Amino acid sequence: MGVVLEVQDLKKRYGSLEALKGVSFKVEEGEIFGLIGPNGAGKTTTLRIIATLLTPTDGRVTFLGYDLKKHPEKFREHISYLPEEAGAYRNMKGIDYLNFMARFYARDEAQVKEYVERAERICGLGERLKDKVGTYSKGMTRKLLLARALMTKPALAILDEPTSGLDVINSLEVREMIKGFTKEGVSVLLSSHNMLEVEFLSDRVALIDRGLILDSGTPQGLKEKYQASNLEIVFRSAVR
Amino acid sequence: MKNFTHLLVKEIKELLNKQLIISLAFILIIFNFIGNVTKSEMKKAMAKQKVAVLDLDRSPVSRNLIGALNAANFIIEEKSGDKNKVVDEIRHSSLDLLVVIPEGFGEKATKFQPVEVETYSFLRGVSLAGRSKSEVVRMLLNSTNEYLSNEFLKAKIPEVDPKLLKAPIKNREYVIIKDKQAEGSSALVIGAMTAQNFILPVILMMIIMYSAQMVITAIAMEKQNKTLETLLTVPISRTSIVMAKMLAAALVGLISAAIYILGFRKAFSFSEGDIGQALSGVAPLLKQLGLTINTQGYVLFGISLFLTILCALALATILGVLAEDYRTAQSLSFPLIFLVMVPYFISLFADINSMSLPAKLLVLAIPFSHPFFAMTNIMFGHLNMVYLGIVYNFLFVAVLLYWTTKIFSTDRVLTMKLKWGKKKVVL
Repeated sequence: MGVVLEVQDLKKRYGSLEALKGVSFKVEEGEIFGLIGPNGAGKTTTLRIIATLLTPTDGRVTFLGYDLKKHPEKFREHISYLPEEAGAYRNMKGIDYLNFMARFYARDEAQVKEYVERAERICGLGERLKDKVGTYSKGMTRKLLLARALMTKPALAILDEPTSGLDVINSLEVREMIKGFTKEGVSVLLSSHNMLEVEFLSDRVALIDRGLILDSGTPQGLKEKYQASNLEIVFRSAVR
Repeated sequence: MKNFTHLLVKEIKELLNKQLIISLAFILIIFNFIGNVTKSEMKKAMAKQKVAVLDLDRSPVSRNLIGALNAANFIIEEKSGDKNKVVDEIRHSSLDLLVVIPEGFGEKATKFQPVEVETYSFLRGVSLAGRSKSEVVRMLLNSTNEYLSNEFLKAKIPEVDPKLLKAPIKNREYVIIKDKQAEGSSALVIGAMTAQNFILPVILMMIIMYSAQMVITAIAMEKQNKTLETLLTVPISRTSIVMAKMLAAALVGLISAAIYILGFRKAFSFSEGDIGQALSGVAPLLKQLGLTINTQGYVLFGISLFLTILCALALATILGVLAEDYRTAQSLSFPLIFLVMVPYFISLFADINSMSLPAKLLVLAIPFSHPFFAMTNIMFGHLNMVYLGIVYNFLFVAVLLYWTTKIFSTDRVLTMKLKWGKKKVVL
């Protein structure tokens, strides 16, 4: 498996606040890589930099061999980003929203159709796609947005807290959607403060706290290393 | 380009939504209603009006006066009897004007003694028709005065023209504009130009205000609906995002302004015909003075207007980035509206060229000011002012567009916020 994304010594400063102090990790092709840490650890800042929303203060990010600073447009072509508090255009019907987003990535009408049909399968919203997004529940909107992020089969899907604010049933469905989709070769970089969720989803994880990666590895490997029964205990031990 | 067009169509659809279409249709209906009411009132005012006349004199002079009223646009209903009883009778009727010619009116008039008539207006509202009725009677009495005085002068000094006696000095007025001179009244020229340019500031104000508000709202709504972050990560350049939003706002702003102007004209009966009719007599005078606009003038005005709209859109885009939701977007558009109102009122009620230098510079520092004064400056040949305005606005637009694109290309599009408490922008 080749490396899709490589983050080296990434730093980000907001005025006097040092949000990232030198974050490094790699995401390999077809894997789910989870960033876990408490609120304010630097997860969202890291994801936003990779998604080209923020510019790094220092460090290097390469994706499929392209450098972020030189070729942000290449990142945008092959990456899908799902922000934690994302929304969709409330006046659009669900199906129109998918069509609208698909057109940015598709070469022709046939590809638009292919993307939208895939999104319909992923989100499972059926007839409700004909309704306006403004009428959707939070869970439905999240499923629509996740389908939007995955429908183009991006080389890397960046999912920031994908189940944030969802109830148990919707969270389980979203997790299954993510897990199922990586079988089609999509790499996923996700962040969550829900460590049990990341443990269930991820092939490898990185523990992040106060802008630094504390440790990384497979969930099983980390549990063995820290002699812990789950990642929450692993994180507590790593912080100490 | 494909993605730009795709985004532009979405932006137009978002702005030109059902709510806006309904409110614009409502505006048209309301203005149309106001127009119909005004027209009907005007019609009433122009129609033959019933006036009650109580002639207590019944002399040849008083009969002449009644004849003059009859010949004018009035249907005379003659009353007789006691004045108080007649006033009381009319109070309970549909008549609303009574002219009382007192006893001795004719005798006093022929002896050159001061005479008077009494006019009673019965106000049953403040309609246009009621107001114009008493105004016409006043004018009619003035004409009667003129007629009577001429007759008296003719009788006393038959060898001299009464008009010459009353106004021995005749004024021949000339108007000079730069190297051109024409015989005519300056008041007439100013009146004609004001009438001609009356609608222009309204159009300008509407276009600038609407376009700016549209773009602020468009960006604020992206933030409120949490769609901006996603949009910024799709494969489309940041410049295209900014341009699509600005162009869509300009188009929808133009449509909204056009509908407002259409409604405005319907409500206040401004039409090319009305203005043309009003100006037809003065047109040769304006032409002689060079107060007409040629193709070059229109091109200059067009450039000035285009740059001003770009200024408004760029400024509004930056304000839109500062807004966190629709409500703050509305508050942030107030400074822009204020900046448009300043040149709007000055162009209506003052002359920028006669203002003090600091005040003039202050007004001209507002980029929206230039097209408001461009038309007059072009007509009066102050082309340097127009060129300077265009250069100033061009530089202003260049700086603003550079800054806007820069904001959208960096973290600032997400991190820039207006801190009301500290009154400063955090970048």
